[in-house]
Amino acid sequence: MQHAVEVKSLTRVFRPKKKKEGDIVTALDSVDLHINTGELFGVLGPNGAGKTTLLKILATLLLPTSGKAYVAGFDVEKDLIEVRKRINMVSGGEISGYGLLTVRENLWMFSQFYGIKSKEAKARIDALLERFGLSNKAKAKVRTLSTGQRQKMNVIRGFVTNPEIVFLDEPTLGLDVNAARAVRDFIIDWIRSDSNRTVLLTTHYMMEADELCDRIAIIDDGRILACDTPDNLKRMVKMNTTLTLSVSGLSEVDGFDSIPGLLSYSSTKKAESSTTELRFVLEDESCVSDIVSKVLSAGSRIISLQKTEPTLEDVFIKLVGRGLE
Amino acid sequence: MAVINDLKVFKDSAWLGWQMEANWTDPFLFMTYSMVKPIAGTLILVLMYIVVTGGETANAYFSYMYVGNAMYMFVAEVLFGVTWVIHDDREHYMTLKQVYIAPMNFYVYILGRSAIKIAITSFGVFITLVFGVMALGVGINLAEVDWLLFSASLIVGLISICILGLALGGISFLTAKHSIGINEGLAGVFYVLSGVVFPITILPTWAQSISRVLPVTYWMEAMRRGLEPAAMRELTSTAGFDVTGMSGVSDMTMMVYLLASVLVFFILSIGVFRFTDYIARKKGKVDWTTAY
Amino acid sequence: MTESYIARNLRAVRGRAYPRLIGSTREPSWFIFDVILPLFTIAGYAYVYKFMDARAELVGYVVLGGAMTAFWLNILWSMASQLYWEKEIGNLPLYLMAPISRMSILAGMAVGGLFETTIQAAITLAIGAIAFNVVFSLASPLLLIVVFVVTMIALYGMGMMFASLYLLLGREAYHLSALMMEPVYFASGFYFPVKHLGFWAAAGASVIPITLGLDALRQMIFPGAIEDAFLSLNTEIALLCGLCVIFIVLSRYALRYMENLGKKTGRLTLRWQ
Repeated sequence: MQHAVEVKSLTRVFRPKKKKEGDIVTALDSVDLHINTGELFGVLGPNGAGKTTLLKILATLLLPTSGKAYVAGFDVEKDLIEVRKRINMVSGGEISGYGLLTVRENLWMFSQFYGIKSKEAKARIDALLERFGLSNKAKAKVRTLSTGQRQKMNVIRGFVTNPEIVFLDEPTLGLDVNAARAVRDFIIDWIRSDSNRTVLLTTHYMMEADELCDRIAIIDDGRILACDTPDNLKRMVKMNTTLTLSVSGLSEVDGFDSIPGLLSYSSTKKAESSTTELRFVLEDESCVSDIVSKVLSAGSRIISLQKTEPTLEDVFIKLVGRGLE
Repeated sequence: MAVINDLKVFKDSAWLGWQMEANWTDPFLFMTYSMVKPIAGTLILVLMYIVVTGGETANAYFSYMYVGNAMYMFVAEVLFGVTWVIHDDREHYMTLKQVYIAPMNFYVYILGRSAIKIAITSFGVFITLVFGVMALGVGINLAEVDWLLFSASLIVGLISICILGLALGGISFLTAKHSIGINEGLAGVFYVLSGVVFPITILPTWAQSISRVLPVTYWMEAMRRGLEPAAMRELTSTAGFDVTGMSGVSDMTMMVYLLASVLVFFILSIGVFRFTDYIARKKGKVDWTTAY
Repeated sequence: MTESYIARNLRAVRGRAYPRLIGSTREPSWFIFDVILPLFTIAGYAYVYKFMDARAELVGYVVLGGAMTAFWLNILWSMASQLYWEKEIGNLPLYLMAPISRMSILAGMAVGGLFETTIQAAITLAIGAIAFNVVFSLASPLLLIVVFVVTMIALYGMGMMFASLYLLLGREAYHLSALMMEPVYFASGFYFPVKHLGFWAAAGASVIPITLGLDALRQMIFPGAIEDAFLSLNTEIALLCGLCVIFIVLSRYALRYMENLGKKTGRLTLRWQ
């Protein structure tokens, strides 16, 4: 099966023009990965990890120092036009187009670079503006848009050409909850509506990667540290589930030792709220009901209950040795 | 305290202006660049003169034209520089809004950026004058120069340009970033109306009336009287009439006219800046983008 | 090269020309800054000739040369430095990522800019002619159009080449364009017949298409200009045709080379250099 994206031993080194301008930076270091057609693939990493460099190479904007990269089976160094016909890219916080054009004109202009007939382009633009709730801004000048509206317009620009593969470089950067949600929903709908569509998403938002991506590559210092489905990645972390209860009226904190499946527990008295915080480390999650029964039978009231499972952040900490944000 | 703050802003904005103007290349290349532009601009007039007269440059009118053109560089560079500062900060570096909301005097910021333009232009003006005297026989005799009149008029004149720059800075808030035509054009108003390369008496009467309220007109006349008094006397005597339209005005009165017009323009500039600043905020134009 | 590739590129030309065409109508201050104000500089030079009691043709040269400055400024600031500017405002990656020839983007800018600038120059010419009583002779309007078109193709070809060379520049782009204003006004004889620079200097300046274009236009518009002509009209037209080919070919090469170099060094999309 042909991969939508295939990267083999890809390395990119940036050398400063003058020594005083900084050190040599290895943005990508022998990266190998492949993305299947129809996949929503995430690249998760901190700022400066090499995510944007990878995207720029795949989008034909940058040459690798060594290694090979193929998009839709075409070499990004040689088959430029073939690659470009099939892709588009949207970056978070990008400022594209001209402030004095209207939103519709701006989108139309970019669509013309992909040879889309005007009538068809306008129909697609109107449909996408409607989808993003921007129809009322179609005739507004680009410079009058808010950050969220502008980013929605950028997303439309990336999708209006109906690409096979879309590169999204932190597409929800700086957006409020609603705008980010609109963008995420659209991405999911878009890829699910046609099995030939592929998305490569870079982000440093864990939740976004977890929610959207079929598979995720974790990248740091230009190297891919792990690549798998979100669930499999989380399974890599041998971390026990924890249960935290906030209870009132608890006089006795002993007696939990006998509950099967419980590894350990601790308690902390909160003087200011006259409550006790109980933290249980579970070996087997089925012991949750026993713990709750025990607390209630002691005449206490449960004020809050929180169960904590491994996250991608835990995966990242395990792999890199530090947090992402 | 406020004065100390203003001085600091002035110094910092001048430093920023210097970095923007000069640190893109090495000092030698920058110096060459600063010389080639003004000399080429001057050579246009020299060739025009030669085409008509056949090449005799040791002439009062040639000196008049040459010195006026050299000094006019200050007007062109500062006026264009200020517009560029606003448009470039706004649409290129996108820092205008940060500068604008900073708790400082924005006038002082513009003056600082203008001042460094003046400093850089001074080098070009000096080289042009030296080239004129050495190579073309421009009538500047250091022994005859009225240094007091020249220095006083130069200082007041430069202040007047900065003041004009202030008004233009305000207007630039409201204008789109077009091509560089503004450089050609805006300073051109003074080029035509202020007796820079020809006496104002050749202009239609209505235009001469405008000339007589512009500070640059008096600045040019006073500076020439200070720098090339012999050429100015010869120009009038050769023409046989008051060719500059100001021969009857004494040096002292000329300076008074200059100061008075600078004062009027200062008040106007502040008014224009405040008005345009208000309109820019009202219409949300402080950080708009207009490139096309 | 498939038909769809050509169609795609033609659409790209139209797409990029559009903002240029619409830009001036959206910002009316364009008329003041780009049309009215340049008249003052023209007036300045015209009055210099008038003060010296010069031949009437010389004032006409100034008006024509002044109108033609619009094209040179358009080349410098809206063609040569445009890819640099697109990089600075974030559009360049989007252009470079599109499945089209980069020449189409530049051609779009050229077409849009040429249209806008021709209107600007025509207005300048008309107002200047009325203000200074300049009399134009239109003996061969068709040939005049041919000379103008050939000059413009060569000139915008040169602009496209500059745009490629500017691609990797930072602020040098602005200063380079600034540096090519007055020296080119001088060398190309915008305000005086270029012949007076001497043969070799004028020949050297003829690398800039507007030098020969302006000289040729003067020969056709002003009856007394023959004595000021640098070369014969036919020779100038032939040389301009040669420059068209040279600049278009060079710009294509330069663009490819600079883009590749930019992708290698990573400076192609590096902003605020």
